[in-house]
Amino acid sequence: MPNIIACCKWVIDEAYIRKGPAGALDFSTVDYKISDYDRNAIEEAVCLKGLHGGSVTVLTAGAPEAAKGVKDALSRGAEQAFFAGDPSFNQLESSQTAAILGEIIRSRIPYDLVICGEGSSDQYAQQVGPRLAENLGIPCISYVQKLTIGEDGRILAERRVEEGVEVVEAPLPVLVTVLPEINTPRIPGVRDTLTASKKPVVAIKKEELPPVGAARLQTMGMTATRMERNCEKFAATPEEVARFVGALQKLGVIS
Amino acid sequence: MPGVWIFAERNDLALELLTVAGGLASQTGVKVTAIVPDQGDQADRCIAGGADEIVLLSPLGEDMSLAAWIPVIAAEAKGADPDILLIAATARGKDFAARLAARLDTGLCSNCTALHREGDGTIVMERLAYGGTAVDRVSCSTRPVMATIPPRTFAPAPADTGRSGEIRKLPLPPSTPVRVIARKTKDRSSQDITEAKTVICVGRGMEKEEDINIARQLAELVGGEVGCTRPISEELHWLPDDLCIGLSGVQVKPDLYVGLGVSGQIQHVTGIRGVRVICAVNKDENAPIFQAADLGIIGDLREVMPRLIEELKKATGR
Ligand SMILES: Cc1cc2nc3c(=O)[nH]c(=O)nc-3n(C[C@H](O)[C@H](O)[C@H](O)COP(=O)(O)OP(=O)(O)OC[C@H]3O[C@@H](n4cnc5c(N)ncnc54)[C@H](O)[C@@H]3O)c2cc1C
Ligand SMILES: Nc1ncnc2c1ncn2[C@@H]1O[C@H](COP(=O)(O)O)[C@@H](O)[C@H]1O
Repeated sequence: MPNIIACCKWVIDEAYIRKGPAGALDFSTVDYKISDYDRNAIEEAVCLKGLHGGSVTVLTAGAPEAAKGVKDALSRGAEQAFFAGDPSFNQLESSQTAAILGEIIRSRIPYDLVICGEGSSDQYAQQVGPRLAENLGIPCISYVQKLTIGEDGRILAERRVEEGVEVVEAPLPVLVTVLPEINTPRIPGVRDTLTASKKPVVAIKKEELPPVGAARLQTMGMTATRMERNCEKFAATPEEVARFVGALQKLGVIS
Repeated sequence: MPGVWIFAERNDLALELLTVAGGLASQTGVKVTAIVPDQGDQADRCIAGGADEIVLLSPLGEDMSLAAWIPVIAAEAKGADPDILLIAATARGKDFAARLAARLDTGLCSNCTALHREGDGTIVMERLAYGGTAVDRVSCSTRPVMATIPPRTFAPAPADTGRSGEIRKLPLPPSTPVRVIARKTKDRSSQDITEAKTVICVGRGMEKEEDINIARQLAELVGGEVGCTRPISEELHWLPDDLCIGLSGVQVKPDLYVGLGVSGQIQHVTGIRGVRVICAVNKDENAPIFQAADLGIIGDLREVMPRLIEELKKATGR
């Protein structure tokens, strides 16, 4: 019966970021969400538990506000959470995140399988999973679209690579990163949200962890990407569609 | 020893990395080392493309994964201490790079789209953040500076057959607990959308798989190719993955892009930033794609498509 850890990140919902003048980014009205593909990571863990028993623990490192994300994660079927919250964990760099998560897992959570998302919605660095596997000294299988645990405690994974699919097998413990197509995440109902508040959350303070090293990458500046377009609109009527085609001709993009 | 290293699992990608590596190495007068699988004339082609030293990876057993090389390359890099290590951002390459960066305890700029050396020697790398909403410029304070570079970000290095270089081979690594038990090659589209003059992009607004035919018909009419959003290739599997446009797919730069039932989320729009004229058909007038489009038709595809095809036939005389 596998003990499964799903790693999830609480991120800024990019849809709320506004672009100010001269490439400025305005975060004043942003909302937060569970990183999109981490919902697939949790779902996969919960499905595997449904098949094999065991346990599902969610693990998050982030700002104290990420407690909301921990609750959200618990409403998706995990039974307990470990949460390392500190204001300084707000903008962690991949190497720091992997170090923190690795330390918590090694010292506090018995596990057979760790599941991460393919990439986070804010950084999409696609690094924390593989770095964490190295930190734990376990095999990493990334970009997984199908996952099976066999009777013998071995894992069978289909990973997507450029030419197609690589089917790999490994003994547990293993870390996998999952693609969104692996499953369809459930939408938590009111009852799930209520029961989530009763589930245990182990809060870990920064002081309980070894000092976090310096970020290996430093951001020197961030600028909004621009998309200046004409935004001319047409209706669906035959006349308007004809006018649309006329506009394409004028622009010289059809001949 | 200072130097610029590249690693790519395919020769075409090695040549693209050599374009960047050559530029960076010549600024400081250091050597370029290419680490590539030992296949055919890879070594000669990398030397012609600007590499001074070739490190060949002997062919692995069928059941071994590329990751078996990680400890070997990490040991090589620890010994030689290169300044920069660039890796082609294929799925295996990105995994490889992150694990190598962890072993070398250094920073890695993922999916780096541009990089240059500042006057003080700092390497500044660009990557996208928040799904493509922003460009993040980063630098790395530890050695080596690492980056993964998506395919086609740079043109392949031209061949100079007069060049020479050293070639050495690495011994086979021990096997790992991860065994590859099957490799299935998937359908790939026969056409290359990154080269197309026109791209007709299918989104989830398409009701059923057969509806893609109408996009194909449109593409044929205007001499273009069909591409798609991520849900179409990944969730629905209606089209092969290599046609997915956006943050996790490819960047396209045609003269004309037409999005059919595409909502225009930032992760997709990021892939069409370089298009000359962006058009969209969507029934929701508030769909974000209209903010990113030059010309947009607000309407139901079922109603608009027949009219559009008819008008295009008239206009193009086809
Ligand atoms: C880390 C990350 C990376 C991602 N990378 C990519 C990427 O590379 N590429 C990508 O495409 N996505 C990517 N996504 C997903 C992206 O966020 C969107 O979910 C996706 O692009 C939406 O695809 P869509 O527009 O086809 O579908 P939807 O968002 O479901 O939009 C369908 C649209 O069709 C319209 N519609 C429905 N019926 C009709 C009709 N009959 N007539 C006209 N219009 C109709 C609707 O109004 C709607 O706007 C990524 C997401 C994340 C989190
Ligand atoms: N702060 C975090 N806390 C927990 N898990 C994380 C955190 N950051 C990243 N992850 C995990 O690592 C994956 C990849 O993140 P990234 O390397 O940022 O693209 C995410 O999908 C999560 O599963």
